[in-house]
Amino acid sequence: MTGRATSSIIIVGGGASGVVLAAHLLKSPNPDLRVTLIEKRPHFGQGIAYSTLLSAHVLNVSAAGMSAYADDPGNFSRWLLERGLVTPEQAPVYAPRSLYARYLKELLDDLEAREQQTGRLRLIREESLSISPTASGVEVALANGTSVVAHLAALATGHDEEPGAGQGHAIRMGSEADTALAEDSRVLVLGTGLSMVDAFLSLEQRGHRGEIVAVSRRGLLPSPHRKGNPIKLDVADIPLGTQLSYFVGWFRDLIRENQKAGIDWRDVVDGLRPFNQKIWQNWPSSAKRRFVEHTKAWWDIHRHRMAPEVYAGVTEAVQSGRIRLVAGRVVDITPGGGFSVQVQSRHTQQLETFDVARIYDCTGIARDISTTSNSVVRSLVDRGLARPDPLRLGLDVTANCEVIASDGTVSAKILAVGPLTRGTFFEIDAIPDIRVQCARLSKQLLG
Amino acid sequence: MLTKKGKYGLKALVHLAQLPVGQLAFVNDIATGNNIPKKFLDAILGELRNAGFVQSRKGKEGGYRLARPADEIKVGHVVRVLDGPLAPIPCASRTQYQRCEDCNEATCQVRHVMLEVRQAIAEVLDQRSLAEMRDIAGDDDLSVALKIQA
Repeated sequence: MTGRATSSIIIVGGGASGVVLAAHLLKSPNPDLRVTLIEKRPHFGQGIAYSTLLSAHVLNVSAAGMSAYADDPGNFSRWLLERGLVTPEQAPVYAPRSLYARYLKELLDDLEAREQQTGRLRLIREESLSISPTASGVEVALANGTSVVAHLAALATGHDEEPGAGQGHAIRMGSEADTALAEDSRVLVLGTGLSMVDAFLSLEQRGHRGEIVAVSRRGLLPSPHRKGNPIKLDVADIPLGTQLSYFVGWFRDLIRENQKAGIDWRDVVDGLRPFNQKIWQNWPSSAKRRFVEHTKAWWDIHRHRMAPEVYAGVTEAVQSGRIRLVAGRVVDITPGGGFSVQVQSRHTQQLETFDVARIYDCTGIARDISTTSNSVVRSLVDRGLARPDPLRLGLDVTANCEVIASDGTVSAKILAVGPLTRGTFFEIDAIPDIRVQCARLSKQLLG
Repeated sequence: MLTKKGKYGLKALVHLAQLPVGQLAFVNDIATGNNIPKKFLDAILGELRNAGFVQSRKGKEGGYRLARPADEIKVGHVVRVLDGPLAPIPCASRTQYQRCEDCNEATCQVRHVMLEVRQAIAEVLDQRSLAEMRDIAGDDDLSVALKIQA
């Protein structure tokens, strides 16, 4: 990107990744810097992840991992302490997500106040419709008929708001379609991961007492966090670029050896985290595909864990029969009053029918990007300015976050961060990874 | 330390990288062409196959070929599979750490520096692909000779 002006940047999406990117860009002393943050929701810094008001919806990462700044990991913990929201003895802390939204809001308020004189930060509350490259940069069209221009645009649109295609009658928890339910009605949840846990907590809060049937291919529940110390690894220790089976064999052996030495498997899984992107990027495409199809479900329940208190509540609900975990797949849904859902068991192949009042889509955050409900991303793909990555996990981007067009050309003007870049960056859904990506991108753009 | 196994493995892979894409090579040809004991080479190629770097076909017309394009396979990928963690001395490894009899690893300055060295080794070897390695083969002497001819 040398030789081109890169000091004015529009960030499309003012959720967590957008705010984190803005914060890193504004660390630059460059007086010519112009950051425009566009968000369609009334509040910045919330996105989908942190808009929940439910106090039971806590962060799945402890406070120590949630700082917005890559070079200041204690930022969020200090924020909590300074406001008396936690005591120093409380550790690890899994803060409510609404508190995290407040943290990001205050962080952005501070930046806004600080940059008022400089004019380096501009916030726009409006929906973005499309991004178009121009001779000197980019133009972002807004829903109110106006547009904004800059040298570069960075997509930070995060997760999709609508349920994935093919989920039929399923709705998202908390959406408009999620109207009041009879207290004792039985509901079906597609998915048994962290989103299902969130749905369970929401239903509890609303006073719902009926059975929750949770269905996923394997019916696996995520594991709980435990306080520990990640093992230390260097990139020189880790086999890169091998076939998946070879890597999995190596990793299983590593866990086994560490367990023999009395070390918890979590510390091994977490010790690998700094290298996860590198491991992913070095894999041949066949290994990536196999991982997504066969191994990811196992990886996810060990890697993406929940707070111990939340886990205790969920396992109790499973034991008491309030949550029923089913390993299988939905083969048929017949509407009529509620829904009659036919599920085929993974193990016995037998069909079982569940009559439920509602179906919730908690299949998680990954979906085919070409079916996205986000108009900006959709229009880029439709015009060939962007394309899905080979595994269709997100947009195809370079390791420098540059969006790749349908003909393979690398855009110098359109960038992407956060979950959209999953195909290249693998685990890029959580703050600890997003902040590192944003820090690198800021350095790349502004030096 | 690069062992003989690592060295032979890399030579065999460069041999395969020189062939037209998809063409199989006989183990015997690889062995004689690179001065590698055949039995040892069989074992090495077996490990490379398990890791997904080469494919083999059995039978009279059988042999080995690269499983992926030569520019995708990095030298560092291969060395880790054949020799284990990249480490200049046995104590400078986190997963296959071997304690030295005669020193205390917590205070050993040599180990400390060697941990840094291994990062540098990884950086070089993970950048270099088999294709690059193949193309520098013949190296300066050859290019000088070609220039003189021209």
